[in-house]
Amino acid sequence: MTEDQKQAYKEKYLRAKHNGEHFFPDTIYKDLIVAFAIFLLLVGLALFVGVASEPRADPSDTSYVPRPEWYFLFLFEMLKFFPGNLEWLGTTIIPAAAVLALLLLPFFDRNPARHWKKRKFALGFMGIVVLGMVALTVRAAVTTPVQQESTVATTVAEKIAAGQDLYSVQCVECHGAEGEGGVVSGVEGLEGVTIKAIHTQDEMYTRNDDTLFNIVDYGQPNLGMPPFGKGYGGELSRSDIEYIVTFMRYSWDDRAELPKEAAQASAIPALGPDEIPSYDTHIAPLVKRYCVSCHRSGKENNNYLMTSYDQVMNSGDHEPNIVPGDLNSNLIRMLHREDIEAGGPMPPTKALKPEYIQLFERWIKAGAPQTTTK
Amino acid sequence: MTNKKVFNWLDERLGLTAIYKTIFERKIPKVNWWFTLGSATLFLFALQVVTGIMLSVYYVPSPDKAYDSIEFIMSGVAFGWLIRGIHHWGATLMVITVFIHMLRVFFYGAYKYPREITWVTGVFLLLATLGMGFTGYLLPWNQKAYWATTVGTSIAGTVPGIGDFILRALRGGDDLSGVTLARFFAAHIWIFPLLIIILIGVHLYLVIRIGISAVPGKND
Repeated sequence: MTEDQKQAYKEKYLRAKHNGEHFFPDTIYKDLIVAFAIFLLLVGLALFVGVASEPRADPSDTSYVPRPEWYFLFLFEMLKFFPGNLEWLGTTIIPAAAVLALLLLPFFDRNPARHWKKRKFALGFMGIVVLGMVALTVRAAVTTPVQQESTVATTVAEKIAAGQDLYSVQCVECHGAEGEGGVVSGVEGLEGVTIKAIHTQDEMYTRNDDTLFNIVDYGQPNLGMPPFGKGYGGELSRSDIEYIVTFMRYSWDDRAELPKEAAQASAIPALGPDEIPSYDTHIAPLVKRYCVSCHRSGKENNNYLMTSYDQVMNSGDHEPNIVPGDLNSNLIRMLHREDIEAGGPMPPTKALKPEYIQLFERWIKAGAPQTTTK
Repeated sequence: MTNKKVFNWLDERLGLTAIYKTIFERKIPKVNWWFTLGSATLFLFALQVVTGIMLSVYYVPSPDKAYDSIEFIMSGVAFGWLIRGIHHWGATLMVITVFIHMLRVFFYGAYKYPREITWVTGVFLLLATLGMGFTGYLLPWNQKAYWATTVGTSIAGTVPGIGDFILRALRGGDDLSGVTLARFFAAHIWIFPLLIIILIGVHLYLVIRIGISAVPGKND
């Protein structure tokens, strides 16, 4: 800008100011309205959208799909266009050039005009850049693989419930449904090994949560317990192990008081004298807690899988294990600890409580329905 | 009467009337609603400072405790969920307002004479805001935070020549650890806020001294 242009601009600006408004109250009034609207928007977002809960950081979980915060997504996406040996172009040169260009903009943009009609190149260029950023962000959002859903428990009750589910699958085959231990059967490499009870006062009082966490995480190799943490070849994430420890503490430690809602959530639903039991409400929770640990794929179980109604009714080398209406079904005989062709007593270590066996019997007598329709 | 005396005594020494006249009674050109974005960003920053200070009362910057302390804020502290919710969404909104504010300034050519320095401080404010976002993202120490920061810092590590140094300086070692969390925390609550406050001071001083730009007419 020449000195004349500067002078002309100053004069014009002074006139605009003269014909303008007062900062107080005219301008500040608009600012306050916007600020108030923003505040309401934020409270609304906090109330109705909230902050999504995420599982605890787990350096060993390499399956996690990392994503930067959304406003860095365009940079992240841009990097995909640079092959390995040119990566530094995308990570260093382009961002550095962009920042430098922004910083020095008033010094290399020598065009004195301010109205958009006289600045078509500058505005067009910026428009393309902004559109490119938006397009890259959208592209990143669309191409992001869906994150594997993991349950995030936030309340103690939710943690206990999640822990119980995980315990049922991962731990029951050796430690028993109540942590009672016993002689292991049907587990590769540990056949016939006697495992001590882990639900005793002695165990609970002498091991704190960190110790329990580490035992699950690392295992106890000398005693035959394999590691369960993801970092050591197991299936459990940090959060998973935390839930199991919470479940053990609240279920077995007599110093911990089980929250009411947790007790309700984990209770096997009671059955009235005239009520017909159904798989979905009554049998599934029992199966989940006492059977699934062994009766799932990848375990030694004569191919009898119990993770869904169809599998419970129709799978296994000796199917059918359940014949609706027949109390001589394999399942009932084995629950009564008979040794038959289909297999030995079930569960191997300890009989189910009589009322649970009764529940199975009433269910089969009623025709083994999946749901009860009234 | 006495009120007036007290005020006059203070005014004589502090120059209150002069400050009031400079800031509040100044005249500015007629402008539209797009010109509220700067003050909106300032408001958001103030909100982030207030909610951030509240969060720091309960937050513990250690890998063992960070996740639990935030869980406690969300479920154990009265209105903790609201404070964290505002801080979380305020960060997102602040990035948006900063960005649109910048586009507004660009569109009206407001970075030109005599407001070049205002623009330069604005660009630094944009960078500092992004720095706040980057460092704040790690603090909850959850999966998303951990892996986003792992990737983010490794991208910084690809800078030719000094990449390895930058990577180790950011992480405080070869891998993400408690050291990383501690320095991100320090950057998030001390270094960047201090930078931002100083830059806002200069930015606002210039805005008041030079005056905000007018909407350009056809002949400008």
